[in-house]
Amino acid sequence: MAEGGLTSHRRDPIKSSVGNVAAHRRRQNAVEVGKERRESLVRAKRLCRVSSSCDDSDVCIENDMIIDEEQSILEAQTSSAVEELKSAVSFQGKGAMQKLVGALREMRRLLSKSEFPPVEAAIKAGAIPLLVQCLSFGSPDEQLLEAAWCLTNIAAGKPEETKALLPALPLLIAHLGEKSSSPVAEQCAWALGNVAGEGEELRSVLLCQGALPPLARMMLPNKGSTVRTAAWALSNLIKGPDHKAATELIRVDGVVDAILRHLRKADEELATEVAWVVVYLSALSNVATSMLVKSDAIQLLVQRLASSNSLQLLIPVLRSLGNVIAGDSHTIVAVLLPGCEITDNVIEVLVKCLKSEHRVLKKEAAWVLSNIAAGSVEHKQLIYSSEAAPILLRLLSTAPFDIRKEVAYVLGNLCVAPTEGDGKPNLISEHLVSPCW
Amino acid sequence: MGFRTGNRFVDFLDPESPFFSSGNIERELLAKQVALDLSEEEKHTLQNLVDEGGSREVFCPIVGCGAHLISLEHFEDHYNGRHTASCSVCSRVYPTSLLLSIHVSEAHDSFFKAKVARGYAMYECLVEGCGLKFKNYKGRQQHLVDKHKFPSSFEFFKKAHLSKKARQKQQRKQSIHRIEETSSKMDIEGETIDGLVSAVSKLSTSDASPPSSISFGRRNTRGLAFVPRAVQREKKADSVPTGAKQ
Repeated sequence: MAEGGLTSHRRDPIKSSVGNVAAHRRRQNAVEVGKERRESLVRAKRLCRVSSSCDDSDVCIENDMIIDEEQSILEAQTSSAVEELKSAVSFQGKGAMQKLVGALREMRRLLSKSEFPPVEAAIKAGAIPLLVQCLSFGSPDEQLLEAAWCLTNIAAGKPEETKALLPALPLLIAHLGEKSSSPVAEQCAWALGNVAGEGEELRSVLLCQGALPPLARMMLPNKGSTVRTAAWALSNLIKGPDHKAATELIRVDGVVDAILRHLRKADEELATEVAWVVVYLSALSNVATSMLVKSDAIQLLVQRLASSNSLQLLIPVLRSLGNVIAGDSHTIVAVLLPGCEITDNVIEVLVKCLKSEHRVLKKEAAWVLSNIAAGSVEHKQLIYSSEAAPILLRLLSTAPFDIRKEVAYVLGNLCVAPTEGDGKPNLISEHLVSPCW
Repeated sequence: MGFRTGNRFVDFLDPESPFFSSGNIERELLAKQVALDLSEEEKHTLQNLVDEGGSREVFCPIVGCGAHLISLEHFEDHYNGRHTASCSVCSRVYPTSLLLSIHVSEAHDSFFKAKVARGYAMYECLVEGCGLKFKNYKGRQQHLVDKHKFPSSFEFFKKAHLSKKARQKQQRKQSIHRIEETSSKMDIEGETIDGLVSAVSKLSTSDASPPSSISFGRRNTRGLAFVPRAVQREKKADSVPTGAKQ
């Protein structure tokens, strides 16, 4: 193969080659940071309270001052970085591209150093219109990537800071396109995911501007960090309360197939993001729920519940199962027939969740069971003859209130006849009463 | 949440319901995520990963590109991004096929200009799936702002200054560009459709395919500078009949 002429600047190998892996690492960092931020907010509140009393106030004031000082240095650096960026954008001489990428990189470094990036300072100095210009079509990938990265971190700030990204949205959406390079598309998806995560109003703007179809298509490949970022961004985009986005998503070609494929085969991290997409699909769209029921989604959800021990994955999978059962009651009565293997499997994994030490799993498993117990007499018999019954009774006396409430509903439904037929209340309550009562 | 008396069945599934809030807590932390920089340590680890991958480096062979890619996969990515979504006339690059084809029609297609002059709605909405068309640029702009909540300051197809590189590339294709410059300055109103058609048919196709010594199974087939829109987008059914002459 002939060598093309090498341009004079030498690309930093990390940036041009590491793409996917780097993005993956950044994501891992982001999750950690989210937790740290919550802790540090709590810490900050504790600091305020302590300094208002006289004892440790000196130490606390000093700590506050150090943080303030660092922060104001960072803010000053940010303002001058924006000035640099401004001159780089209008510069048209030799080496303009390198100069621009360099200025963007400096901006990005300042915005990705700490858990509290100097977003307000950046916006005040006028960063956003400049970043929008850097997203123009035909710009080198490095430029697009750095600009999108800056916007990502600005969007991760306070509500009014996220809203400041409005002028950039059409370009970010455009760069999700099929002709964009993977790292660029992924970084734009990340930024848009942050915007969608802000709230209903911004979600609605993104949907109007056509963000959903390209993001949905990014979820179709089998692996790569891009798929996971796209799934996460989509989960933010469709979470409602408007139902339309969920229905629009399920109608995109290949999406149902991809969701099932990921539920079946993906690693736990990707499966977690996809499971959250399923949570919102099943909560908000009847069309989606009935499509899922007709496919083998229930089996796949059950398999994940049986095989995984990751709380991050179990929560959305359990919720999806619960939504599907609650949302499409008539079909479920036809699918989860008493005596069928699938029904036994469902109850089995719900029992596993009841036995878990995690409060959320116990509570939501009880919720799902209460809905199954609201079915036919045979459904009720299935539950009370399973391992669930003694566990439920034990939880009734030992668990925290919110779990006890759900458990009570399960037991209540087990005792009450279905509204159509005539129940056999005596038979049911016989089996439920424990010897010690 | 909805209840049926006696036999309780919760069939209202608002994800924001307080019932789900404890399950949502961790997820809410992830609603927004800061993309942190890699630490020095991580950079070293990643660099090692890259080095271990062996040197299957690829230099992009497209003349004037000079990009250095670390693997065939990256090269394919690069090629798709850079060399198959660019306008063969002015070398502008677009991230989606839709935007590229809209650009070609609006910037370089004389038939497009002619139809506009005759009052057909030719300016297509930029949002995927919308498909509405408008009689002029401003009309489409207004639609984007009103219907699709675009910022009012927004312009995708601004007549920006071409970069020096693009200008040089343009000057190389002399015969085509002389005609293009003439036609873009032409007062459409004063020119007959027939005159335009004959001018178009005299043009040779622009040669934007890769050097013949290189072959990697992909040729830039968008070599025609002035293909009427109906032919270029044969797979898409136009809602407005273009009636282009073949």
